[in-house]
Amino acid sequence: MNSVLRLLPRPLQIILTVVLLTIVGAPVGYVFLASINTDLAVAAGGVWPEQVSFQNYARIWSTVPLGRGLANSLLVAGTVALACAVVAVFSAHVLVRHAFRGRRTVLRALLGMQSIPGTLLLLPVFVLFATVGNTVGVPTIGTRWSLFVTYLTFGLPFSTWIMVTYLRQLPDELTEAARIDGAGTWQILLRIVIPLSWPGLVVAAIFAFLLGWNDVLFASVMTDVDTRTAAVVLQVFGASQEGGAIPPYGQMMAAAIVCAAPVVTLYLAFQRYIVNGLTAGGVK
Amino acid sequence: MAATGSLAADAPGGGDPTRPGAARPAPSRRRRGATAGGTALWLLAPGGLLIVTVIVVPFAVALIMSLLDLDQYTFWQWLSAPFIGVGNYAEALNRTSLLHAIWVSGSAAVIAALLALPLGVAAALTTHLPFRGRSLIRSLYLIPYVLPAFVVGTVWRIILQPDGIANHSLATLGVDGGLWLNGPKSYLALILVQAWSGWPLVYLLALSGLQNIDDSLHEAAALDGAQWRAKLRHIILPLLRPSVSLAAIISLLHMVNSFTLPFVLFGIPSPHDVEVLPVLTYVESFQNLRFGLSAAMAVISLVLILIPLLVYLRTVKLDGPEATA
Repeated sequence: MNSVLRLLPRPLQIILTVVLLTIVGAPVGYVFLASINTDLAVAAGGVWPEQVSFQNYARIWSTVPLGRGLANSLLVAGTVALACAVVAVFSAHVLVRHAFRGRRTVLRALLGMQSIPGTLLLLPVFVLFATVGNTVGVPTIGTRWSLFVTYLTFGLPFSTWIMVTYLRQLPDELTEAARIDGAGTWQILLRIVIPLSWPGLVVAAIFAFLLGWNDVLFASVMTDVDTRTAAVVLQVFGASQEGGAIPPYGQMMAAAIVCAAPVVTLYLAFQRYIVNGLTAGGVK
Repeated sequence: MAATGSLAADAPGGGDPTRPGAARPAPSRRRRGATAGGTALWLLAPGGLLIVTVIVVPFAVALIMSLLDLDQYTFWQWLSAPFIGVGNYAEALNRTSLLHAIWVSGSAAVIAALLALPLGVAAALTTHLPFRGRSLIRSLYLIPYVLPAFVVGTVWRIILQPDGIANHSLATLGVDGGLWLNGPKSYLALILVQAWSGWPLVYLLALSGLQNIDDSLHEAAALDGAQWRAKLRHIILPLLRPSVSLAAIISLLHMVNSFTLPFVLFGIPSPHDVEVLPVLTYVESFQNLRFGLSAAMAVISLVLILIPLLVYLRTVKLDGPEATA
């Protein structure tokens, strides 16, 4: 059986695997080595640290406000993830279980909206938030709230689509039976749909989280020094180190790893769900 | 396919067919109250409201702004800024590096996607069958996909420094690396880094395509005595074409729209050779404060996206396997 399904001769398979792992592993491995190396050695192009030291990981917190950045990112991306999953399951439930005119248009719009260039919406969103802030008299630009609302909305098309692809795998009979038993929409959602669809909800939440965690475009103009996310802290750190005597590359690598760690952990923990959710939806 | 048929079915009430993006959900969602018999449509309200206020309205505002002479002086009274029609578009096309940016964005995305395709397909072929350590290798393959673009940009920016590790490694091979983050070779750097972070997506979609191929086809190939090369070329790769083309389109869309990677990798001001469309648009707004001009550029970039986007929307199955099978 195995030999029938075989696609590549064994030597070729091994060579390809090694090549691909090198493509991935060489830069990633180097980043790890550089993060435990001295700034001086990294700037000189050295690979293997003469002495291993985790000093970069200790010093980075005082070099740049990375701790505050990570806290801001966690706060914003975390709340976005929760809110996005909830709103997405509402919309997806209707889009899957109710036939109404324009439903397919909404579905297509959900996919289309993911490709609207962020640069197109950045300026108007900025202006609208600033205008609302000025008229109502509450600060908007520079607050975490403005980021929260922005990421929540941009996460919705994607998360809703993920939930749509997930919910339609659930048999109609379950919700129908509940409806016949007299359950209202609210009860159907809380007692049946949400408990049965938590793998989908996890994926929807994770992608909303990633959107908030990874964004630089909106965060770079909608935050101030105190509300900067980790992404902006790292970007500013990288951009401001040109021309220094010894650029703190080792610390920058450590900071990059610290910024990537939560995302990689999330991904490793939920890898199977994420891969299934992605390939089922046919989306990035 | 189903998607093609539905395009025609939706056309009468689907709004302006040339704008399938943000402009569409508003009319369809407003209409639902009158036409649907369901009771739960209010559940669409939270999502719909957010999408209308943060995507649809700003989208319309962007279209309006692109017709205004909007700079730092007129910005806060933007509704009363002078209307100059297509003036911004004309200026963007004639007197800025927009066409160059379009070329850079488009060509780099196409080349990077072309590089990513064979890598992704090869990776899928190597992990199709179970072996010890397969799940570890699958996880490793996906690392570039999982790393945030700002991390990828930061890391490669250091790797590609003039005295960085990339040039040191090249020097041991006797090659003078030269400048990667500036000058003509920065274009190469952009392509390589984009391909590096983009190929795992191709891998994911190719792998799922591979696993949907029925075992009986493998058996038939074996019965016919097909060697691996013939089997790959005549059976497996043709069957993979739908998933690989989907991956290609998604990668293309993603790379053309990518702001963070070039922004972090090359910084601002961006070297001319890698001045991609999103970065140019951003700089025109938030550095040069030519807001109207920038809005026009953004609209033009949306028009460019539209071609692959329409292909993509026709490829994806809207109603799940049961409706299209």
